[in-house]
Amino acid sequence: MTKKGDMLYAWTNDAEIQKKAELGGAVTTLWKYALESMTVDAVLAVTKGVDLYDAVPVIITDPKDLAKTAGSLHCGTLLMAKLVKKFLDGAHDKKIGVTVKGCDAMAFYELAKRKQISLDNIVMIGVNCGGSVSPVTARKMIKEKYEVDPEKVHKEEIDKGQFIIEYEGGHKGISVDELEEAGFGRRSNCRRCKMKIPRQADLACGNWGVIGPRAGKATFVEVCSEKGAALVDGAVRMGMMATEPANAKGLEIRGKVESAMFKLGDKWRRHDFEALGEGKERLKKIMSETARCIKCYQCIDVCPICYCVDCTTKNPAYVAPGHLPVPFMFHLIRYAHIADSCVNCGQCEEVCAAEIPNALFMHAQQVELEKMFGHVPGVNMELPLMAYVEEKEERLRLHNTGSDMIYENVFNPFNRKEH
Amino acid sequence: MSDEDLQLKYTPTTCPYCGVGCGLNLVSRGNTLVGVEPYKRSPINEGKLCPKGATCWETVQKPGRLTRPLIKKNGKFEEATWDEALDLIVSKFTEISKKGGPRALGFQTSCRTVNEDCYAFQKWARCGFLTNNVDNCARICHGPSVAGLSLSFGSGAATNPFEDVLNSDLIVMWGSNAVEAHPLVGRRVMQAKKKGIPVIVVDPRRSPTARLADKWIQFNPSTHIALANNMMYYIIKEGLEDKEYIRERTKGFDDLKKVVEKYADATNIHGVPQETVQEFARQYANAKNAVIIYCLGITELTTGTDNVRSMGNLALLTGNVGRPGVGVNPLRGQNNVQGACDMGAYPNVFSGYQAVAVSENRAKMEKLWFLKEGSLPDWYGVTLTEQINQAGDPIKAMYFLGLNPTVSYPDSNHVRAQLQKLDFCVMQDIYWNESCEFADVVLPGTCFAEKDGTFTSGERRVNRVRKAVDGPGESKYDWEIIALLAKKMGLKGFDWKSAKDVWDDMRACTPGLFGVTYEKIEKPEAIHWPCPTIEHPGTPILHIGKFSAADGKGTMFGLEYRPPAEVADAEYPFTLMTGRIIFHYHTRTQTDRSQTLHNDVPENYVQMNTQDAKELGIKPYEKIKVISRRGESIAIARVTDDLAPKVMYMPMHFYKGANQLTNTALDPLSKMPELKHCAVKVEKITEA
Repeated sequence: MTKKGDMLYAWTNDAEIQKKAELGGAVTTLWKYALESMTVDAVLAVTKGVDLYDAVPVIITDPKDLAKTAGSLHCGTLLMAKLVKKFLDGAHDKKIGVTVKGCDAMAFYELAKRKQISLDNIVMIGVNCGGSVSPVTARKMIKEKYEVDPEKVHKEEIDKGQFIIEYEGGHKGISVDELEEAGFGRRSNCRRCKMKIPRQADLACGNWGVIGPRAGKATFVEVCSEKGAALVDGAVRMGMMATEPANAKGLEIRGKVESAMFKLGDKWRRHDFEALGEGKERLKKIMSETARCIKCYQCIDVCPICYCVDCTTKNPAYVAPGHLPVPFMFHLIRYAHIADSCVNCGQCEEVCAAEIPNALFMHAQQVELEKMFGHVPGVNMELPLMAYVEEKEERLRLHNTGSDMIYENVFNPFNRKEH
Repeated sequence: MSDEDLQLKYTPTTCPYCGVGCGLNLVSRGNTLVGVEPYKRSPINEGKLCPKGATCWETVQKPGRLTRPLIKKNGKFEEATWDEALDLIVSKFTEISKKGGPRALGFQTSCRTVNEDCYAFQKWARCGFLTNNVDNCARICHGPSVAGLSLSFGSGAATNPFEDVLNSDLIVMWGSNAVEAHPLVGRRVMQAKKKGIPVIVVDPRRSPTARLADKWIQFNPSTHIALANNMMYYIIKEGLEDKEYIRERTKGFDDLKKVVEKYADATNIHGVPQETVQEFARQYANAKNAVIIYCLGITELTTGTDNVRSMGNLALLTGNVGRPGVGVNPLRGQNNVQGACDMGAYPNVFSGYQAVAVSENRAKMEKLWFLKEGSLPDWYGVTLTEQINQAGDPIKAMYFLGLNPTVSYPDSNHVRAQLQKLDFCVMQDIYWNESCEFADVVLPGTCFAEKDGTFTSGERRVNRVRKAVDGPGESKYDWEIIALLAKKMGLKGFDWKSAKDVWDDMRACTPGLFGVTYEKIEKPEAIHWPCPTIEHPGTPILHIGKFSAADGKGTMFGLEYRPPAEVADAEYPFTLMTGRIIFHYHTRTQTDRSQTLHNDVPENYVQMNTQDAKELGIKPYEKIKVISRRGESIAIARVTDDLAPKVMYMPMHFYKGANQLTNTALDPLSKMPELKHCAVKVEKITEA
């Protein structure tokens, strides 16, 4: 019996999956089992659109269609959780399996806290993620830094700190550091990310730490929940997949890779946050950058924290409608409502038509709030500070005491335990 | 949950609004559109969208779509079968054409619809009725660009792609508020600015684009030629012109020089201090690579074509055409304003700008279109607003595809009165609009989300439009409706099965587009025309080494400043400018159906100067009456210092709004009406 906390090597026994599988094919096999056993009604995965730079979400109900989702697309910068909320009714009455990166997993928890997704109906298989590259950046980078026609590339991967491409007539790797120095490489939020192995998923899979005879032929699986354990047991029981305990040395190597990634993440955090300055200087920078906003509302639309039908930014009492430049209050509302729970998924920045580093601003604030109040978003179901307030109670308190200090009790961390 | 709940389809397509041509994914579940998601793979916008693009799906499946043909009987519209409606159109148009000849009919198509519809439409008008009375609404936005740039450079299109501004050393935006009207070009300028490329915005109004600029040059409305001539005076006086370029690649320098010598000091006309003009002239002439981006501030005036040629003059004088980072780029207003012209929905050219006046062109088309030798007309057809003027005499019947002339054309009262005079009128559209009541037959077409096809953006890029869902009720593809009419008339060459068939029909008779196959534009990089052969990679930058004109030269013109047709006077003391806002598109038929966009700007407004407001006792957000010689409009006053005193600005989107006031006076060369400039007075609304 597999149990939570197990560290395994796993590989597929399925002949079809073996043909396509990368590094053991455990993820595809587990989904095949999940669909066949009706553990899930559908799998939300990613497939290639017009080419390997184009990641398109796809709903799979027939296990035969899983083949087209195999392999990773580092140009896939989708956020799966918000898609489940928007287009799959928050999984409130269907069971859905999803392959998740760190940011996806964190987003699922945040949306679940806000009752926008039924986490009970979600099975998450996490995959290690060292970061992703926006498709147009990737193509430019391949053309300019690799001097290869991006149309000729048929495979890309990130391995041992290098972004490697395979193309007609060869392969080429350049270190991610070098690419990022040149203004290419991963999205800026990915550089700052420290959610490399998503352990809040049911299983955390990847190739880090697979060594010895299984190297390149097995998937590393960390079992993170009972749901995850059941999935592994089921697939093994059906003979679809085989496992063995992970090599101890491999485990150590996996830990080293992860901590190297953390160090890199810390380096980028220092780099990005220090450039913002502090206090008034930081505020000034934020105000001048956000002054370009064209009010497309896309940062709100893609945000895994936003869900309100009547968004406060549309309330004329706060933000005068129909004006460019957009009043700064628009952005203040976003910071006030989101910063405590920002998971640094980067979507708001990637879709910003005005080139505002939205994710950087929000992430910078989240990190400060975490220091102050100790709330870590995206890792479990613990509610953010603001959620401890019952609006009616709060209004009554203000009325009774004559105070105008909204949420005073919440923002005083010493009182927190009483709630 | 039904099975539909476990469907999720992304359809990558092209935004239906402005001429930037952003890519987006329409998301559908079954036949229901449920959203727009970023198409990050698109090199044009990288998944980023403006408020309109982001909400474009909301307007597709709203109540009020036309779902069945309607025929007016005894003043009331009744539902009819397709056969009834099409038979009636064929019999009326045939009868009127028999009686009145080819000049008794008028055909107008929208630039919003796909190339395939535009091509089919003009082919039917030309083959079925041997008329050139076919035009599209580019006439009232970038007609002067087509005319002016053709005269200056030999091609009426933008010279360089949008992203190319990042290769520039100086960006001049003249009469363009790209941040609102072409937001994803605005983004390129934001990127350029971040890169340290200086941006100069020339605009009478401190627009959101002007706010972005390193330098905002405020000048008096509609004095472009005076300002440009004044600049060129300094450039020549200080010897900053590109002498080698002028010698090798241009003609007309002496002509230009003679005229600009008279503009040593034109501050009394344009209002810009001479030091500013001089500094601007030096900066433009000294930049290694300078690009001019312009828009309707330049074109929608009675001097439109000359204004465009003045931009051409500046670029030619300083050698700024024909390589990366330079050029003269009109930002085409509508998604397919480039394409509708390219398709030959134009009164003097077939597709690909093949002039109808040239007998070889007519002979070629007659052969390809199965027409009798010598049957196609050689005369210059009647243009868009002139067709309106001719309604009743000699034009008796008109066909409008995707247009709302009583709102979007100048002087709405005049348009309504003219449409009344028609014997027969057809409106083909997706929603019932304000003009439909003037029709005898209303036909339900399909919108961008419901059909395959192509839009050609302002950078001459042919972008694919892909069907995501079926159209409502009995609606049909617009090209299909046209083909049915043609077939009912017994015409050959309309047996298309798909949008691709229409496109290939067009390619066969259009040399500059022959190489643009559907296969080649499957990926979002697509192809910039000209692209004459299958192997040809397309032409992102025009005029490299040689201009497109017959003699290969760029032409400079000596152009005199002329004031607008109607200027402010004692009776109408304010100058009214018009323009676009980011939250709406044209007559709001689509955008006002988005709750988000409606909330942002639900009704008409007018910007006026703080001092003027004070003098008239007008408070911010007070409703006021704006009156011109032609009509009046009620608007909310937005009081601001973004405009000079005695200058006002009204968005053009609202029914009984700006076009109640605008002037129909035409630019003699391009027939562009003076939509950007008229004289008005202001009255407070007294409580009843």
